[in-house]
Amino acid sequence: MRRPSRTLIVSLIAAVALTAPAAAGARALLLSGSTSIFPLMTQLAAAYHKATHQPTPKVGQGTSDAGINEVAAGKVDIGDVSRDPIIGVDPHGLVFTKIARDGVCVITNPKNPISNLSQEEVKAIFTGSVRDWSEVPGAKISGSIDLVDRVASSGTQDAFQNIFLGETLKISPSAEAEESNGLVQNKIRTDENAIGFVSFDFTPGTNAVGYQGIPCTLANAKSGQYQGVRNFWMVTKGVPKGAAAKFIAWITSGNAITKKIIGSDWIPIH
Amino acid sequence: MATAPVAAGLKPPTKPRSKPRDSISSWPWTDRIAYGLCWAAGIALCAIAAWIVLYMAIKGVSYLKPSLLVQSPLGSPDQSGSGGFLDPIEGTFLVTAIGIAVAAPLGVAVAVWLSEYARPAGLARAVESGVETIAGTPSVVLAIFGLLIFSKSFLAFLSQTSAGGAVFGRSFLTAGLIMSLLAIPLIVGSTREALAQVPAHVREASYALGKTKATTIRRVLLPSVRPSIASGITLGMGRIIGDTAIIVILLGASLRLEGAGGAPILSILRGTGSTLTSYVKENSPAGEGNAPQKAYAAAFVLLMIVIALNAIVMRLSRGQARADGTV
Amino acid sequence: MSGGSRDRRAELTLGTVAVGVLALIALMVVIVFTKAWPSFAHNGLDWFGAGGDADVQLKAMIQNTPLPGHSIYYFRAWPLLWGTLLSTGLAVLIGLVFSTFAAIFIVEFAPDALRRVLDPVVRLLAAVPSVVYGLIGILAIAPWVERNFISQQRKHSVQQVVQLTGANLGLAILILTVMITPIMVAITSRSLAAVPRTWTEGSAALGVNRWRTTWRVSLRTARPAIIAGAVLATARALGEAIMLSMVSGSRGFAANPLDGTTFFFEPVRPLAATIISYVDGLSVVPLAQTLYAMAAVLLVSSAMLSLAGWAAKQPLKKYGIRA
Repeated sequence: MRRPSRTLIVSLIAAVALTAPAAAGARALLLSGSTSIFPLMTQLAAAYHKATHQPTPKVGQGTSDAGINEVAAGKVDIGDVSRDPIIGVDPHGLVFTKIARDGVCVITNPKNPISNLSQEEVKAIFTGSVRDWSEVPGAKISGSIDLVDRVASSGTQDAFQNIFLGETLKISPSAEAEESNGLVQNKIRTDENAIGFVSFDFTPGTNAVGYQGIPCTLANAKSGQYQGVRNFWMVTKGVPKGAAAKFIAWITSGNAITKKIIGSDWIPIH
Repeated sequence: MATAPVAAGLKPPTKPRSKPRDSISSWPWTDRIAYGLCWAAGIALCAIAAWIVLYMAIKGVSYLKPSLLVQSPLGSPDQSGSGGFLDPIEGTFLVTAIGIAVAAPLGVAVAVWLSEYARPAGLARAVESGVETIAGTPSVVLAIFGLLIFSKSFLAFLSQTSAGGAVFGRSFLTAGLIMSLLAIPLIVGSTREALAQVPAHVREASYALGKTKATTIRRVLLPSVRPSIASGITLGMGRIIGDTAIIVILLGASLRLEGAGGAPILSILRGTGSTLTSYVKENSPAGEGNAPQKAYAAAFVLLMIVIALNAIVMRLSRGQARADGTV
Repeated sequence: MSGGSRDRRAELTLGTVAVGVLALIALMVVIVFTKAWPSFAHNGLDWFGAGGDADVQLKAMIQNTPLPGHSIYYFRAWPLLWGTLLSTGLAVLIGLVFSTFAAIFIVEFAPDALRRVLDPVVRLLAAVPSVVYGLIGILAIAPWVERNFISQQRKHSVQQVVQLTGANLGLAILILTVMITPIMVAITSRSLAAVPRTWTEGSAALGVNRWRTTWRVSLRTARPAIIAGAVLATARALGEAIMLSMVSGSRGFAANPLDGTTFFFEPVRPLAATIISYVDGLSVVPLAQTLYAMAAVLLVSSAMLSLAGWAAKQPLKKYGIRA
């Protein structure tokens, strides 16, 4: 009789020990969404923890549309979205708060250092009408063009199509669809014939192509000369409340810390 | 009795004649082709195995530095700078430990019930097919099932809850629990086989001495099949260590071990992290790590762990065979 | 405490644990099928048919924008099913032939030294994690394939529809075969060695050469084991998600055999790899239902495989041969 009661007591203690911390302790915010916003948000989260001693918000990534769906389903507290809201498609009741702007660059392999592409050339290449590098003026290599696209749930792809291709044209469906900016960057770095588009933070190691005669640099994006610029949003279900409201308020307050972080690779707006 | 004189010129055989082998040249040509194919397959198997082992050894040893084993990974997704994979190694051990801690008692209990009791017979057959079902289920399916149930609020204590009330559902505990499902069929199979090998007279002797069935199982049978249970556990460990799908879906994809806040050990168990397998995938061209050398080094470490586990299994199964008297 | 009630308690405890495990598995099966049902209900049997790009359909679900003329549940899984069938089926077929010959070699024809080396090597290969195979495939073999086999001409010939890279159907089949062959070799060789010696010696005494003996007697006897090994290997190949997502090209594209040799260089994405690629979108209800539908297909396939394996083991049970 002694042994069973001992195991009973031990298991009771273990059960209490397991459940108790579930109630205690401050909880961290959960964010998920755009892979373009991910580098910015992780820096902001770390700085937020340092400045206010709130638990560091946890940031995940899974493309903008996944972020919107997860925040609507209540799986995360804040969604990171790098495309503008689409009325009628996005779930009802979501509130978008703009936090920054970002440049989108067309990139090629360093062995193919194209300096500039016009809007017609970009349209022709990305819709698939031009299929070989020999037809592209300024190309330093030959061979077939390897188009690199993003998955359709990507906010960056949405922004690219709207800004560079216009309302009606779509990227050729034969293009290779990568899940994140980082994967596009990897692919372009290793494939000489590849061309794609990424958020400005992901251009190191590749050749950033100028657009309409303006080089794709942070200065040009900040000054407004470079046209390929889109918004970064933080999305909540309903008006931001509680810990989420505090975090968003801190980011949009325009204090020196956030200005410095955002200004390093993105365009501050507050 | 004197032997007959050996006739002059005849010598007794001094060495055994070689085994009579029918020469291949006497075979019909179809059989000769088949013989050649067998040799080709065998040599190809050797060559492939040698190539894989040598390639991993060369790449692994050339890229593996001791600093990699003790440093934590860099915080950013890009791993091409400095930083090692200490956290993934810890993560691997943690997930395996949780998985085995849950699978071993459950597996042995199910095996003992199936082998010693198994009443009613229909239920026993159902349990058997249930175990076989898990054995055949892809780990992805187990993982999305896990994601579903661990996101429910009554299981929130197994992972973190966000400030807004969302249950994260991904942690070491949740991944470990689903991993235990992978190991259970192996432990059940190993233990059942060994229990079936125990001769009936051992049980009968125990009953003759007046011991109950429960005592017989606990004091006589289980100790005698301990090597097989151990080898089943080791096989289960090998399977858990090698699985990536469950880790990718259920471990929260943070490169370092990140606690969930609260009591120290429980914080880690309810927190997120990575393992060697997800680290290798992240640093391959299919992930964002951009550090193929570290991927090779981590894969090499993974391979060494698996080889060590394999050697242990072989040693243990030889031990069991000796205990059974079959060796 | 009387021994009888202790026994009953032990039986009850163990029985409860066993039933608990069974209940968990049953719960999993029930949940998967319940969640999968709407996807099948909206598409009917056409779910398994062809009709457009599976990737486009899945993305439409994530974006909450139904494709023109269809409901949000519209899904045609054929490219994924075809990719699964091709990669798994061809890998198992090639692996079966290869492993049978290799097992016969190990048991019959190998010199003793070689046999002592091969046995642990085969066991080792069977234990290598699939991520390692995937890493070698994508870092070592894929670039080599891309350099030597994917010429500009080949790329141009299919450029309208799909882009070719080193990660493709051929690489997936190759690595899957290498992954599942050791399992089949181990099982087959163990079973060939367990054939009663009286049978093989009797055959030899009748003057049958070693190959014929193996072919006609041993292999026939080992047939249940070979089939069991093939079932195990197929289950492993079907469930392989991460490795295939690394090396198979990751596009839900139905490779076209009419393309000739280019067929082997086209990207595919089998079912398990698709589930893992889209797992981020599980909060979207139609997508979750479609993913569960794929999981249900995988569950049913592995159940049918187990059944086939069990059925194949029955014939030789009467001779006392344990597979």
